[in-house]
Amino acid sequence: MHLLLIGLSHKTAPIELRERVDFQARGIARALEAVASSSTAREAVILSTCNRAEVYAACDDLARARADVTAFIGGFHGVERADIVPHLYDVSDLQVARHLFRVTSGLDSLVVGEPQILGQVKEALTAASEAQTVGPVLNRLFHASFAVGKRVRTETGLGSGAVSIGYAAVALAKKIFGEMQGRHVLVIGAGEMGKLTALHMKSQGASQITIISRTMAHAARTAEAIGGSAAPWDEMDTALAASDIIITATGAPSPILTKARIEAVMRRHRNQPLFLVDIAVPRDVEPAASEIEQVFVYNIDDLQATVRENLARRTSEVARAEAIVGDEVGKFDAWFRSRGAIPTVVALRQRFETIRRSELERLDFKMAALPPDARARVDEITHLIVEKLLLMPTEQLKALGDAQTVGAYAEALTRLFGLAEPTAADPRTEDDAADQAVGDTRVARVEPFSPRESRVRSGRQSGPG
Amino acid sequence: MNLVPFLLYIVAFAAYGWHFARRDPAVGRIATTLLVFAALSHTFVIGMQTMEAGRVPIGGPISATSTFVWLLTLSYLYVEMTTEERAMGVFVLPLLIALQSIPAFRTAVENRSPVLQSPWFGVHVSSLLFAYASFALACVIGITYVLLFKEIKAKHLGVFYARLPSLQVLDRMNQRAIMIGWIFLTVGVVVGGIWAAEARAYAATDPRVQAMSLLDPKIFVALLCWIVYSFELFAARRIGWGGRRAAYLSALGFAIVLLNLVPVSYFLTKSHNF
Repeated sequence: MHLLLIGLSHKTAPIELRERVDFQARGIARALEAVASSSTAREAVILSTCNRAEVYAACDDLARARADVTAFIGGFHGVERADIVPHLYDVSDLQVARHLFRVTSGLDSLVVGEPQILGQVKEALTAASEAQTVGPVLNRLFHASFAVGKRVRTETGLGSGAVSIGYAAVALAKKIFGEMQGRHVLVIGAGEMGKLTALHMKSQGASQITIISRTMAHAARTAEAIGGSAAPWDEMDTALAASDIIITATGAPSPILTKARIEAVMRRHRNQPLFLVDIAVPRDVEPAASEIEQVFVYNIDDLQATVRENLARRTSEVARAEAIVGDEVGKFDAWFRSRGAIPTVVALRQRFETIRRSELERLDFKMAALPPDARARVDEITHLIVEKLLLMPTEQLKALGDAQTVGAYAEALTRLFGLAEPTAADPRTEDDAADQAVGDTRVARVEPFSPRESRVRSGRQSGPG
Repeated sequence: MNLVPFLLYIVAFAAYGWHFARRDPAVGRIATTLLVFAALSHTFVIGMQTMEAGRVPIGGPISATSTFVWLLTLSYLYVEMTTEERAMGVFVLPLLIALQSIPAFRTAVENRSPVLQSPWFGVHVSSLLFAYASFALACVIGITYVLLFKEIKAKHLGVFYARLPSLQVLDRMNQRAIMIGWIFLTVGVVVGGIWAAEARAYAATDPRVQAMSLLDPKIFVALLCWIVYSFELFAARRIGWGGRRAAYLSALGFAIVLLNLVPVSYFLTKSHNF
């Protein structure tokens, strides 16, 4: 069994081509069905985001599957072969694991370490599970990749720090107030930027959003769009005193929130912290306002500076993340290699089971006199003996490293036990059986993910999708 | 015997420092485990001394310091386990180590003065030690609050921004620690007053009992503490002196506590030199 990946991403293809090769738009389920029926791939998962379109496959014949999948990608989207092939990358076996691990870690993302991709990869696996195009190999590969993504995020700073203005403002607000729940947000000015930041705060749990604009109608429209309320311009002081976070984004030529005005607000505010996010140019908040105790003023340049710092910090964490990916590829490699012995293991088990059954049948007349539960006990005991006998050889075969040794062992076992090639009526069930035989518990340890949760996660976070 | 927990505190501090620098959750768990071991060994030491002396070893400045460190460790572990925040450990541990170095290298002499046989004695000393442990935590939390506050205010988001909980959480923790400390301080001082009045009746000749007055340094400084913390609690609730001012006050309060706990006990007091 081989692993194969063919795809394109923001690194190899221009936006025009990525827009045309959009599996999401044409329906992932349909695409999975098409790839399963049109190619020799035994398992397939399609990962489609706005920055990448990738087909992951498990196959027996690498060259044929490669040709099939390449033809499928072009054919499915109606793109000429010559237009798409120069932009495709294709990798096989362990390089597939490395690539996917890098993708889920955010190492391959446009914005390094962005969090959305992990949810998108989870969704890709869910879609493939629903379409029943996933088998043990890709299942294992993808679950391993989720673990890598999680490890990279907890053990390195790759995903830490906000890398957009909206995120940076929310992260700061959380560092001041603890949580967004119960916070009142006031937006002064009904522009797009203020609206986006307010939406972001709302999605993070801010309980009340108020919009103030010089034109009440404008404020009301924006308030309706984001589920907040509007207040008239001349009631600003009341609104200021009731707010914890104030986002200013007006086109006013001179500051509307002067130091004296905020001092007055703070008296009514009983010195609770006040966070001012000034994203207007020219500034809406007088710089001297930050001298007031418990008042935190961040303007657009400050926010941009933190974003830049965070990006730099992420870049410095890349090496650590790559080391984790390398480590995990090694673990996956060990598992992948152990699968080389699987046909032999399956054949050996089938052989033992056949002998057990035929012996039980042969002795059936002698056991006829036994009560049913005693016969069941005999069946159980013989089964256990077979399991015990096979345990050690299975473990040993599983631990074999290179293909040559596996071949030698397989040949020896075939001769010693007179094994035939395993009957491969349905390769997938065979693989499942083999997987049980190899008895790996690591898949079970990977956190079971809920597709709903991952959708919520990716839905809540805006960013380069 | 106090040397073993002392050394374990140093090892735990190294682990907390490493955790703070690398932010590796596994190292954090190791740090907590080490501190739990330090606390257990310290519990054992105090238990042995209790059995030896027939009561909790608090009759003398050296053993009282050891008991204080032990209480502070337990309080810190409680805070850490309930809030899941480990970043504070790196600030608390140096304090534990500095204070534990006193009993670690000196033998405590348990005082058996007849004045100390009163049942009030245990309540007085243990509630004050517990109050001081709470104030120590409040001080550490206050320091971290100020560090984080300065980073956010100066728009220079760095080490503390990445590691500490939010200002709001720190402020709330600080207020709670001070509230608890203040209650125990009040109990300890009131009980001390009652006890001193009683002691005049049965140990009037003891020079220490005669020195029990508001002007004795130990008592004076304790009352000063009470005033500082009372003001802090009042100011935080009534005049909006939360946040950074409360943090500064809790640091000031604890500086006074430390003054009372070590130099005053050793050199100045005439009433409390048991």
